[in-house]
Amino acid sequence: MEVLANNLQVLFQGLALGSIYALVALGFVLIIRATNVVNFAQGDFAMLGGYAMVLFLVGMPGNPELHLPGFEMHLPYWLAIVLAAGVMAIIGVAFNYGVYYPLRNRPFLPVLISTLGASIFLQNTILALFNPQPRPLDKLINIDGVTIGGVFLDSQYLVILVFTILAVAFQYFFFEHTLIGKKLQATSQDKDMARLLGIPVTWMIIITFVYSSVLGGMAGILVAPILFVSIGMGSTIALKAFAATIIGGFGDVAGAIVGGIIIGVIESFAAYYISVPYKDAYAFLALFLVLLFRPQGIFGEKVSEKA
Amino acid sequence: MGRSLYGLIAASIATVTLSLPAAAADTIKIGLVNEASGANAEAGTYTANGARLALDEINKAGGVLGKQVELRLEDNQSTNPGTVLAFSKLVSEGELAGIIGPIRSTQIQAASPTIAKAGIPTMIGGTDPSLTHVNNRWVFRCRPNDSFSSLVISDFGVNTLKLRKWAIVHSTDAFGSGGKDALVSALSKLGVTPVLVQGYTNNSQDFTPIVLAIKKSGADIIGTYMTNSPDVGIFAKQLRQLGISAQWVGSPSVVTDTAMKLAGTALSGVYGIADFTPGASAEAKSYAEKYKTRYKTDADVYSSWAYDAMHIMALAINNAKSTKPDDVRKAILDIRGYKGVEGTYAFDENGDGLRGYNVVKNEDGKIAFIKHIDFSEKK
Repeated sequence: MEVLANNLQVLFQGLALGSIYALVALGFVLIIRATNVVNFAQGDFAMLGGYAMVLFLVGMPGNPELHLPGFEMHLPYWLAIVLAAGVMAIIGVAFNYGVYYPLRNRPFLPVLISTLGASIFLQNTILALFNPQPRPLDKLINIDGVTIGGVFLDSQYLVILVFTILAVAFQYFFFEHTLIGKKLQATSQDKDMARLLGIPVTWMIIITFVYSSVLGGMAGILVAPILFVSIGMGSTIALKAFAATIIGGFGDVAGAIVGGIIIGVIESFAAYYISVPYKDAYAFLALFLVLLFRPQGIFGEKVSEKA
Repeated sequence: MGRSLYGLIAASIATVTLSLPAAAADTIKIGLVNEASGANAEAGTYTANGARLALDEINKAGGVLGKQVELRLEDNQSTNPGTVLAFSKLVSEGELAGIIGPIRSTQIQAASPTIAKAGIPTMIGGTDPSLTHVNNRWVFRCRPNDSFSSLVISDFGVNTLKLRKWAIVHSTDAFGSGGKDALVSALSKLGVTPVLVQGYTNNSQDFTPIVLAIKKSGADIIGTYMTNSPDVGIFAKQLRQLGISAQWVGSPSVVTDTAMKLAGTALSGVYGIADFTPGASAEAKSYAEKYKTRYKTDADVYSSWAYDAMHIMALAINNAKSTKPDDVRKAILDIRGYKGVEGTYAFDENGDGLRGYNVVKNEDGKIAFIKHIDFSEKK
């Protein structure tokens, strides 16, 4: 009985962390599909989401060296989430115009470096505005969790699982059953053709950046009560999420979700049964094996370079 | 044309930069290799604050050898390569009377050869015992080392709390592994073999497997050597969530200000050892007040040792009446009975200044001083 409970506990933690990887991976994939570029700042969207919550729920400490006065703000939790999503949307637009748009006609490498630069810039901006101390964040639901049959279900992890399911359902509906979703799909498949058909490609790409920035921000907000809000919180998650996109199939939406959850669960079980210190290695071992035996990923189609 | 213009600009910038140090030649310079960015930047802020507080006191009191003291900060990006670079950079700028190094054992280990080569007295806060036992005569420790921390943890757990089923949880970095080895050997001297020894890498996101292993082992006391505050916070919460009520005696990281803020009630009732406790002595109390007034936040160990290091460096230079490295080194080793905020300093031939710890308890988010355990007489 206890063995079963322990295994379920490990499974639950794996699923929950995997969902976070999946959410960030989803953001990766959307941008890959729209622009053919891996956005190295995707993890920092999660970090920004966390700090936006700190801003609205607690305030900003200020920075005497930059002559920035600190201030306090104590908004209700729901309003803070709405405002944080708004901030993430604005960041998405700014990211599009500041990081991607000026380089849109260049090969993918300059854009990639540009997102890497944005990542460093964002982390250091936050370091200057909020001091480097990690901060706690309240949970969405004000109870710690429930214990069912010896398995402790953290309320925040339950929220994460529910949100992931909703986000995936929304995304499916949005892309498959709305006109704008279909336009986004067309844009990601062939920009020139989409343009010929009268689809405003520039707008579609802005929408993609906004969407994936908000999604990344939400992942950060959801995970912050457990992993705390810190400058580096996005980096570890992004690395695993990136592995998830490759395992799932580079640029495949379903693949990103499945890949994220696979990594979360593998990590969790391998840590429990084999060894904790090498936990991070298992995710990348899985990545390595997939690259060896199924380089296109689980859901990826085997395609040669487009002519 | 364009290129020669750039050359001209570059040359003039170089000239300006090179001529700067000359203007500030009549100060005594002390370097500080610190974590200003990267994973541990939060701790680095405290360290710089502590050193600056001491610096201002020294300068206000007339400086050292009649000169004002100047602090040269160098960021090590919280990494080992960054630390080596930072030391090389400080040393290459020259004229340093002393250096205050980092608090992380692993970083000091990496930079040790650079320190030895530079031959400049360097104060360190890393507590891995081996750091002062590698034939590097330029390293001086302003905190008690882990051979004492493990003696205190095991002594308190076995003799005061009377618990003998130990689980040890440790980070796999140099600090955590060194601490684990010392704790295992200290426990074995008390006739105790731990029922579980479990490592983890820093910045782990989930401690469930470790918590389940502790549960399975039936341990009634947990001894920890954890490096980062977020790890302490996550572990503490999951430990309590999964219903483990074993006692916990940890290395200083469990009673830092940041860890307590992050973990909230999950760290209530936890014992930690601390080299710095505001309630432990008059010096510590007055330092805590000064720090709070100036920085609007509570002082913790990351700041207090740097404060002591700065004062000891100044005291040694004053006593030596010289900034020659050999004279300063001798003066540091001659220090006996200097009352710092971390305790009473007496440096031994290895460069270890302190040999005792305070045991403290987190009582609903407030640190309560329990007892001071000192091994000085057993030296």
